[in-house]
Amino acid sequence: MTDKKPDPRRPDETFEPFEETRRIPWPVYSIAIALAIWGVIMLVQTSTAVEVADKTQKEVAKEDSTKLAQAAAPDLDAGKTLFADNCATCHGDAGEGVAGAFPPLHGSDVVKLGGAKAVTHIVMRGIGGKLNVNGDGYEGQMPAFGSVLSDTEISEIASYVATGLNDDAKTISAPEVADIRKVAGDKDPFDGGAGLAGLINDLPAQPNSEAADQGADSERVARLVGQGTDTVWACASCHGDKGEGIETVPRLAGLPAPYLAKQLHDFQRGTRFNDSMAYVAKGLSDREIGELANYYASMSSPSGAKPALQGDLKRGAQLAKQGDWSIGVPACFTCHGPSGVGVAPNFPGIAAQQPSYVAHQLAMWAGGSRHNSPLGLMAGIGKALNDSDRRAVADYLASLAPMPAMDKTELAAMESNIPVREGVDQ
Amino acid sequence: MQITETLGLLLALSFVISLLALTILIWAIANKQVHTPDADDARTIFEPGEGADIDYPDKPHHFDTARSGIDANSSSVVMWLIAAAVFWLIYGSLHGLAASLELHLPDLMSGTAQMTFGRMRTVHLNSVAYGWASQGGLAAVCWIIPRIFRTNLRMTGLLKVGIVLWNIGLAAGVLAIANGWTDGLEWLEIPWQIDIILAAGAACFVAPLIATAKNRNVHHIYVSGWYFLAGVLWFPVLFIVANIPGVHHGVEQATMNWWYAHNVLGLWLTPLGVGTAYYFIPKIIGKPVYSYALSLVGFWALALFYSQVGIHHLIGGPVPTWLVTLSVVHSVMMFVPVIAVAINQHVTVASNLWALKESMPLRFISFGAVMYTLASFQGSIEALRSVNTITHFTHYTVAHAHLGAYAFVSLVLMGAIYQIVPRATGKYWPFPRMIAWHFWLNVIGFAVYFFSLTIGGILQGLAQLDATKPFADSVILLKPYLEGRSLGGGLMTLGHVLLAINLIAIGFAKKTRETETENMVAAE
Repeated sequence: MTDKKPDPRRPDETFEPFEETRRIPWPVYSIAIALAIWGVIMLVQTSTAVEVADKTQKEVAKEDSTKLAQAAAPDLDAGKTLFADNCATCHGDAGEGVAGAFPPLHGSDVVKLGGAKAVTHIVMRGIGGKLNVNGDGYEGQMPAFGSVLSDTEISEIASYVATGLNDDAKTISAPEVADIRKVAGDKDPFDGGAGLAGLINDLPAQPNSEAADQGADSERVARLVGQGTDTVWACASCHGDKGEGIETVPRLAGLPAPYLAKQLHDFQRGTRFNDSMAYVAKGLSDREIGELANYYASMSSPSGAKPALQGDLKRGAQLAKQGDWSIGVPACFTCHGPSGVGVAPNFPGIAAQQPSYVAHQLAMWAGGSRHNSPLGLMAGIGKALNDSDRRAVADYLASLAPMPAMDKTELAAMESNIPVREGVDQ
Repeated sequence: MQITETLGLLLALSFVISLLALTILIWAIANKQVHTPDADDARTIFEPGEGADIDYPDKPHHFDTARSGIDANSSSVVMWLIAAAVFWLIYGSLHGLAASLELHLPDLMSGTAQMTFGRMRTVHLNSVAYGWASQGGLAAVCWIIPRIFRTNLRMTGLLKVGIVLWNIGLAAGVLAIANGWTDGLEWLEIPWQIDIILAAGAACFVAPLIATAKNRNVHHIYVSGWYFLAGVLWFPVLFIVANIPGVHHGVEQATMNWWYAHNVLGLWLTPLGVGTAYYFIPKIIGKPVYSYALSLVGFWALALFYSQVGIHHLIGGPVPTWLVTLSVVHSVMMFVPVIAVAINQHVTVASNLWALKESMPLRFISFGAVMYTLASFQGSIEALRSVNTITHFTHYTVAHAHLGAYAFVSLVLMGAIYQIVPRATGKYWPFPRMIAWHFWLNVIGFAVYFFSLTIGGILQGLAQLDATKPFADSVILLKPYLEGRSLGGGLMTLGHVLLAINLIAIGFAKKTRETETENMVAAE
């Protein structure tokens, strides 16, 4: 530094900085004005209109307010149409029911005693357990419609069932339904007739609650499910004590035993990827896998799923029931059975499955990181669906009734078919 | 306190009011309603009587800070601050480097809780933000404020008490964090019990600087003075409001958290960096800054718009949409002050490029000033929802944070240290070549660091948005970029070690340098 010749432009040490008197250059003005205009427009336009999935917040708010506006007496004609769309598939066009399978709603002691209010509760929460109607026993597998139908729609259906199919004079209004939703909307489905007895006074004798006799087959399975071992985490810690799943953790209750066993073997071998499940599956013996598969296959539990991904339910229903041939996607129900209840042994039930899980798995099929379906069937379907289709179909399936538990004798017959290590994956 | 519609309206109004204020300011400047100092003015401001014969009546913008005794009076406080700042710089850099290594060598230090990533990174942030940048900035403030006010630094004893308190508090805070005792909010990790010591330390800084400003011997306050005084008043308010326990809960707490964290950058570290650059760039070059009117716009637009910027960190979070939109708009409005400062500082450097060759401190400072422009532009763009969708929760944000806090603030302060220390101690730097090495290690190290994380961050964000890819893919693809980050961080740390060596060596060196200003040049 000192050996160099000093630059003649070097200032004195005593120079102190100051500012010159210059005007602001015009580009600064124009930038400031342009940004100010942009800022005002931004504030006005986007302070509320931000997209939540496919809907803007404005649209959601508008839907909510129009629903609330229809607080007047329920429209019974609309109720009839809604009944035909949502209820008649099982309960019959005139609410006559199907002997031994679906209880009647026309001239039903449950409806007569409970009125529109009880119907509202049942539609909102669903039923998961045995019950007696007019003295006959039924399985009781009714989905919860609380998350798929609005307050107005539920009021119309409940009023139609009470006054149109029975002779009750009392209807229920949308605000009353909203009040019921506040206290009962988040509750689990009714535990069969035993659960309904708490809702409806003087209900004739009902079967006992099933929850008690769902014990594990052996002590070892009970320990695996409830407490886990050194190398196996308790199944219930993620999948729930009713096997209902949560978020991206799937519902296991009622899935075919061979399907469950195959998945655990695939996790063991690495043909299906999931770091948590790979670790758990490696700690299981073949015998434990068989027992666990049977345990969950014979488990009956209410749906723990609700549409949660802002999917288009109409589009989801179309994909599930008819498929979309323009993109080469067959109907889900073709393989997974009517209403998605599954076709044992290879096609798992998809009804009442957790929507985040379904959407995530479809994406994984599309991306190729899941590839263990027979004949690569699901890979092609996964690739054909885009993000909003995945959410639509996942939400629709989450709104359906859960598959019934597999019969123990049925399971025993399937035992020999459980694929061990030489699975049919490709 | 609940964020209600009324409160929302009031906050939205803050944008309109800020806009109105900016319009009035620009109108006033354009119509010469604001008193601007010109050459004649300057002569009356620095009246010959004030500084006796150390003022130069024939040279209006000259003043001998050494012979007036001002520099000697503030030098011990300044050197205390610089020594403490450089200690925390080294300490924080080592923790940052360790945290960076842990991201691609996860088992490296996993045996000890104190050395896990979560604590190492947090210690790094607190050390460099409160130990290095704050104290380095205060050193520049304590050096420059008396010079531009032409008066001695007041209450130097109290300032030294403040330095001791601040460092005790910070050491206790860092120790607490390393042992797992924190308040659990980013930038506010130091437990509030320890924050009391820090707040007391901060108070010891405020009073002497206000007293010095009150006793100034000039009428016109140079632009650095506005930034410094504003920063010194803003920071204690931010620090105390954000650290009072039990006031904010839930979503409001997150809102307050990011209001604070971003304002520490914009209303504390930025004024320190910009004010320092505003003083040293013209000082070393010997030419005035471009326009007084622009420095007005730059300062007031920062003051008006910055305070609402932080909430863009919560885009997509469960806070009211209008609150986020307001923050996005304010973030983008930051273009105005940044352009004003850029013109004022860069025009002076660009028309005197020779000085970059002559002066190593100027190289640090003007590089830092350019990085301020870039970091601010990037920050405004990053606050837009469309960009944020990709960059949020990725290493892109980390690169941006270092562009601001490191490439801008830290480099400006390092340049200031290289300029101040010889003048405060009367000694030459023992190893002048090391200064150039330090500069290039920092610039190259930072370039490697920044581009690694920016590219890696974008790829990470795109992978996270792709639902058909498992989350692990977005982590695995980052590995080479994280290794690049460690390499860059290593080079930067090495540069800091060179600064520390030079500083320790100058402590042991004999007085070799004239402090008489006649024999000195600014650009040396």
